[in-house]
Amino acid sequence: MRVSVILRYIGTVMLCVAAFMAVSAVISFIGRDSGFYPLLLSSLLTMLLGLFPMIFVPKTTGISTKEGFAIVVGSWLLSCVVGMFPYLMWGGEFSLVNAWFESVSGFTTTGASILTNIEELPQGLLFWRSATCWMGGVGVVMFALLVLPSLGTNKMALSSIELSTLAKDNFRYRTQMTVRILLVVYVGLTLITTLLLKVAGMRWFDAVNHAMSACSTGGFSTKNASIGFYDSPLIEAILIVAMFLSSVHFGIIYATFTRKANNLFRSEVVRIYVAITVVVSLMIAASLYAANIYPDALSSLRHSLFQTVSLISTTGFATANTNLWTPLAVVLLINVSIICACAGSTSGGLKVDRVLLFGKVFIARIKQQQHPNAVLRIRVDGVLQESTQLHAAMLFVALYFILIMLATVSNTMFGQDLLTAFSQAVACLGNVGPGFGAVGSESNFATQSVVVKLQDTVLMLMGRLEIFGFIQFLFIKWWR
Amino acid sequence: MKGISKRVTVGFMSIVALLFVSGMISLFELRTLSNDTESILAASRSDMSYAKDMLRYAHDHNHAMMRRTLFGEEAAAKECRQAVDAMEVATAAVRRDIPRGVEECLDTLSLYIAELRALSEERLNSKPAFVKRAHPNLLPTLESDSVQVDAAPQPSAEQLSASIWYEQDYEVAYRRLTDQVERYMTLSHGSLAPRAEQLNKNAYRSITPVFISLLVMIAIVLMLYFFVLVYGVRPIVRINRSLSDYLAFKLPFKVKAELIDELRELSDNIENLVNISKTNKNE
Repeated sequence: MRVSVILRYIGTVMLCVAAFMAVSAVISFIGRDSGFYPLLLSSLLTMLLGLFPMIFVPKTTGISTKEGFAIVVGSWLLSCVVGMFPYLMWGGEFSLVNAWFESVSGFTTTGASILTNIEELPQGLLFWRSATCWMGGVGVVMFALLVLPSLGTNKMALSSIELSTLAKDNFRYRTQMTVRILLVVYVGLTLITTLLLKVAGMRWFDAVNHAMSACSTGGFSTKNASIGFYDSPLIEAILIVAMFLSSVHFGIIYATFTRKANNLFRSEVVRIYVAITVVVSLMIAASLYAANIYPDALSSLRHSLFQTVSLISTTGFATANTNLWTPLAVVLLINVSIICACAGSTSGGLKVDRVLLFGKVFIARIKQQQHPNAVLRIRVDGVLQESTQLHAAMLFVALYFILIMLATVSNTMFGQDLLTAFSQAVACLGNVGPGFGAVGSESNFATQSVVVKLQDTVLMLMGRLEIFGFIQFLFIKWWR
Repeated sequence: MKGISKRVTVGFMSIVALLFVSGMISLFELRTLSNDTESILAASRSDMSYAKDMLRYAHDHNHAMMRRTLFGEEAAAKECRQAVDAMEVATAAVRRDIPRGVEECLDTLSLYIAELRALSEERLNSKPAFVKRAHPNLLPTLESDSVQVDAAPQPSAEQLSASIWYEQDYEVAYRRLTDQVERYMTLSHGSLAPRAEQLNKNAYRSITPVFISLLVMIAIVLMLYFFVLVYGVRPIVRINRSLSDYLAFKLPFKVKAELIDELRELSDNIENLVNISKTNKNE
């Protein structure tokens, strides 16, 4: 493994991060706020860190899988480290652990915050928070691939590691094309959402931030009351569509617009995703209406649909205090926080694709017992699933629940109630953001102990790197 | 970028630049911190000084008023007016750099000064109660005992009325004013707490950038060490070892290292030389 080559490519990612810091610094400069100096200095330091390896390490063609893994995981970790520089330099509520938490939460698009007063933050830092989500949404390495055309053949090695196996299925194109599709869909969605939010009455600054946050399914808002601040059905409707589309496979969205066969309306995964969202929203709405939490059925449906889409897409925006909702609503929302959205999107979590595979494997197993000699093949969206892929998916599901259980036990050891402990573990591993109880939609993670915060950041990174990626990195030295 | 010396130079220059930047940052931050501390201390000092002045003016006013009202000193009237004017000037000066949460207190203080002025003007414009006495200690009081009353001359009705005015009207207004000045002192002192807290935050903010710059510098120095080792030292060691092996044991000249720039040329040249020497020997 060539450490120098790894450093060079991580440096490329650092340059992207530095560029976003510089943009945030410009916003701070225009707004004449206290964020300018921390952002500018952070940008310069990050740029120096990124450029330094390029002085020595020449361009390299051909990166091994092992090096690719190290580049991808290293880029995520280092992005989170440099991402906390502006927070630390600005001060305020950001201690070392809090800054790390906020940075990891941003880059992993979790959207959980330690801030008790978000509106106190200068505009530049608010933009930086949203920018971390936006970069993390598509994956920091994929982001570098999107904006840096000079990586040549190494693009394939890096993109194949950054994209999960499930995500790759719907990208039936060459690497260059896949990267281009991601760019077009991601940037297009963000631009359209920004414009629509502006038309719906948001300020330009808020519109850009919320669009970046919604399209990356991050969930960072510029307001303490999140989307509830606007109390506007139109804004909520726009964000529901944005969050929903961002949580669907980008390849499928592209295929829909280019009139390809495997489009939004034909995809099995998307159909199940829509079905889950609709059924859960209706059930929650009925339960809220029956419990007289909202005066009429329409308000119940409005809030239930927004919260369901927000949690299932792993965004985490809020329009209501879900802690006050019925137990049925809470349980359903926790369930959708576990399932989450589709592979190949910006969302995290278990993903509908794996749930579908799990169901199909379960049915196949029953059929196999009835017909022992039958050769059963499992397909998702017409793609034949290899046994290794099925194995990996089943193992992922098992590991996902084991991690949630372990984190819940650990959280309860620090004095949390069961609801808070469990929902916090689910929210962090699934990169959802808000949980229930002490970490509900109108609360934050400020009151959590330092150990719990650090544990949450590990869960967020594990969730973002799809567990195996993170574990592989830890044992990379013994990897032949 | 080509040329090992150029690469090393740029690497070192980056470190120097970073050192310079972190030095500048620490200077800038220390200066800001020092200015903040200075401004807080200065504000505190000026608040205390104004309050002290106000108390002194109030005391002067009291003294002059006593002399004018009870001893009939005509000259004291001017001092009375001067003291009230000075109090107003001091209040206006405090208002220029008013700390948060003290506005109401200053408003009340201004009101009390105005009341005192109105009260004293009313008295000053009236005829003095007595002619000047020989000794102020002989001032008759309402509470004086019978022995002293017998010894001292009997006070007139005007004298009694002046004493009553002084005790019942003036002294109340005077006490109210001085209490308010003391309240202002307490409040302005209390307003220092949030500023001191801000100072604490500023201290944290001034250290963090320097600390982060240092961490980045450590990372860059480690990277420089690593790159010099990988692209500078290790190739030379390997070339030397390979050349020694060739000379000693006639092993083929092969360098297993990441070679760039002049070191690659050096390796290639040695390899060519070895090949030439082999060819010459064969011939």
